[in-house]
Amino acid sequence: MFEAFTDVVPSFFGWLNQGPLTLTIFLHTVIILPMIWIYFQEKKRLENEN
Amino acid sequence: MANNHLTSESKQLATWYFTFAAILFGAQLLFGLVAAIQYVMPGFLYEILDFSIARILHINALVVWMVFAMFGSVYWLLPDETGIETIGIKIGKLIYWVFVAAIVVVVLVYLLVQVGPADATTIWFITEGREYIEAPRWADWGIVVVALTFVANLFLTGIKGKQTGIVTVLMADMIAFAGLYLAGMFFTDNISVDQYWWWWVIHLWVEATWEVFVGAIAAYGLITMIGAHRKVVEMWLWIEVAMLFGSGILGLGHHYFWIGTPEYWWEIGALFSALEPLPLVAMFVHVLYDWGKTQGGEEARGSSASVIKNKPAFTWFVLNAFGNFLGAGIWGFFHTLPQVNLYTHGSQFTSAHGHLAFFGAYATILIGMMYIAVQGTNGIKIMKHTKASIWGVSMVTGGVVGMTVALTIAGYVQVLVSRAQMGATWAAYFDGQSGSWFTQAMDWRLILGAVTFSGFLLLAKDLLTTGKSPVHER
Amino acid sequence: MANKSVWSDNRFWQRSATWVTGFASVLLIWLTFDTSVQIAMGNDEDLKNGVTKRVPGPTVINYKITYEMDAKRGHEVPVIGEKENFFGRDDWSEEEAGALLHLGKLGSQAKNCMDCHTLLGNGAYYAPDLTKAWLDPAWGPNGAMQALTAKETKEEAMAEFLQHPDRYPTHARMMPDLGITAKEAKGLVAFLKHMSSIDTNGFPRNFGHMQGAINGK
Repeated sequence: MFEAFTDVVPSFFGWLNQGPLTLTIFLHTVIILPMIWIYFQEKKRLENEN
Repeated sequence: MANNHLTSESKQLATWYFTFAAILFGAQLLFGLVAAIQYVMPGFLYEILDFSIARILHINALVVWMVFAMFGSVYWLLPDETGIETIGIKIGKLIYWVFVAAIVVVVLVYLLVQVGPADATTIWFITEGREYIEAPRWADWGIVVVALTFVANLFLTGIKGKQTGIVTVLMADMIAFAGLYLAGMFFTDNISVDQYWWWWVIHLWVEATWEVFVGAIAAYGLITMIGAHRKVVEMWLWIEVAMLFGSGILGLGHHYFWIGTPEYWWEIGALFSALEPLPLVAMFVHVLYDWGKTQGGEEARGSSASVIKNKPAFTWFVLNAFGNFLGAGIWGFFHTLPQVNLYTHGSQFTSAHGHLAFFGAYATILIGMMYIAVQGTNGIKIMKHTKASIWGVSMVTGGVVGMTVALTIAGYVQVLVSRAQMGATWAAYFDGQSGSWFTQAMDWRLILGAVTFSGFLLLAKDLLTTGKSPVHER
Repeated sequence: MANKSVWSDNRFWQRSATWVTGFASVLLIWLTFDTSVQIAMGNDEDLKNGVTKRVPGPTVINYKITYEMDAKRGHEVPVIGEKENFFGRDDWSEEEAGALLHLGKLGSQAKNCMDCHTLLGNGAYYAPDLTKAWLDPAWGPNGAMQALTAKETKEEAMAEFLQHPDRYPTHARMMPDLGITAKEAKGLVAFLKHMSSIDTNGFPRNFGHMQGAINGK
């Protein structure tokens, strides 16, 4: 399932790109995850306003 | 204009921008027709106005009329949104004439000089030869000055006046829009580096900043045309911004599959750009949902009157919701995965996508803004369709959709014959182009291009005359 | 009254939009630094030492270039082979080759190549893709173009065609005479040869490997 590294020049992003969608799933995750933190912060704010 | 109802100078300037935009729109279609004829009759205007020149004018007029109409839209909505007259409007008006003059000179040089020797003077004064942004370097700097003035108008007004969500989004979006142009203003011998940065301008305009602009304009249109609630509209706008920029910025990777850039762009480009249609679905739902909700609220009060205050403009806005999703979303998704794009990259497929996407995502909503300006300029309370507006919108839309279908078929033939079957050489290319399926598709493209142009003539007539028509409620 | 949901709160979405946009931009800038290093042009030393660069240096014109299937990567890659004459010489210095490439790249823009052809697949679709034009069998020893232009080598045939395209029609759709001089043509051919050596991750696939026309009509 995990394929060998085939990029010409090794790099951080090339290293993350090691198999099926590893790089893009990683990037999507780091973009989306902090929204959870924003969510709870805003939830707290709305509760305090009430 | 004898009975002009505009008291705001910003709105007057907007109408100037819309007027020149409409003229350039006509020029775009005219040179598009020349190029379409050349596909069918290759000898047409050979060595007089070659395909390359017709195409430069076709796509440059496209980009510039849209930029003009976008500037116009912002000048139009600023007084409504901020509640004050646009700050520095006098300089804005002066800069408008500088912009128009520069465009006229650039076009004349394209037409009359066409190409130059292989040295820097050509790049500075004739053409930069980079698709979409061929404008010579002197004009680049002119555009930077114009854009800075525009951004200054927007920012000063936005800071002093009421800062709504729409204005906030526009401020952030327009500064990125202007700033990105700088990425396309240098020369390098390395074509991979050249195209890397060239896509920063092209992609981050049309698949990021312009789309966000459309979101903001759609929000403004819903508030002014059907009285949608600002809170709802602006919440959607923020969701759209998150999704558009979230997918569009790294979606840039789908242009980095084959230009010499590393393999990791396959994954980044594929997955982020695969998500690009999502916000377009959101925009579609948002426009239609708000319409239904507002109309439903009206009916619940026992009234059967339409909530739409500007029928032709709203028609174009709804077409935008459809067209953006279909042209940019579906047609873009068709060939955005590298497994597919390996064969479709640089084929008539791209052209099919380009036609429906630019029309669906941008032309529609900007024409809608022109109708809003006609309504405001003539003090019309409820603007209705005329015969010309209905025929105009039907023929232009039908023509572009038809051209897209024809080009898609041509694209299939090209991809299967020239690419998959024969391996993309010179001979393979012409074999694909000579097949009857391809040539028939190009015949249809020309016919439907002529329909589009005729529709444009009706549209132009309507925009010029409908303001005085007695059908509207004043 | 129940608490208002965060999901229908404008501030939540505004902050999310700001975060997503900002972070995606930061990632793009980071990726740009990474990619810029990888697509920087190589030099003569790399070529002499057999160091593979995604974009080789201009002196690649001194070498034979082929396009071969790489089993590990699963697609074709340009392979730089032994020395090969280019306009009668295989010892173009870094300065000379660089100047030629510079002239060719300028020429490709000054003549609006991209508004009929595609380069690396980008441009217009009215004429063939030029990404690997240098490797097109039509220009090779068994192809039609050397005989048609009465030239002995690929580069001379290409240069002759570029100067007088209207004399050598290959299709009803003809390339116009763009006033390309002999010097500019040389530069443009160098530019094309250099472009064919760029590692385009296997685009276009199967280039020039199909022998004998299969009629597409």
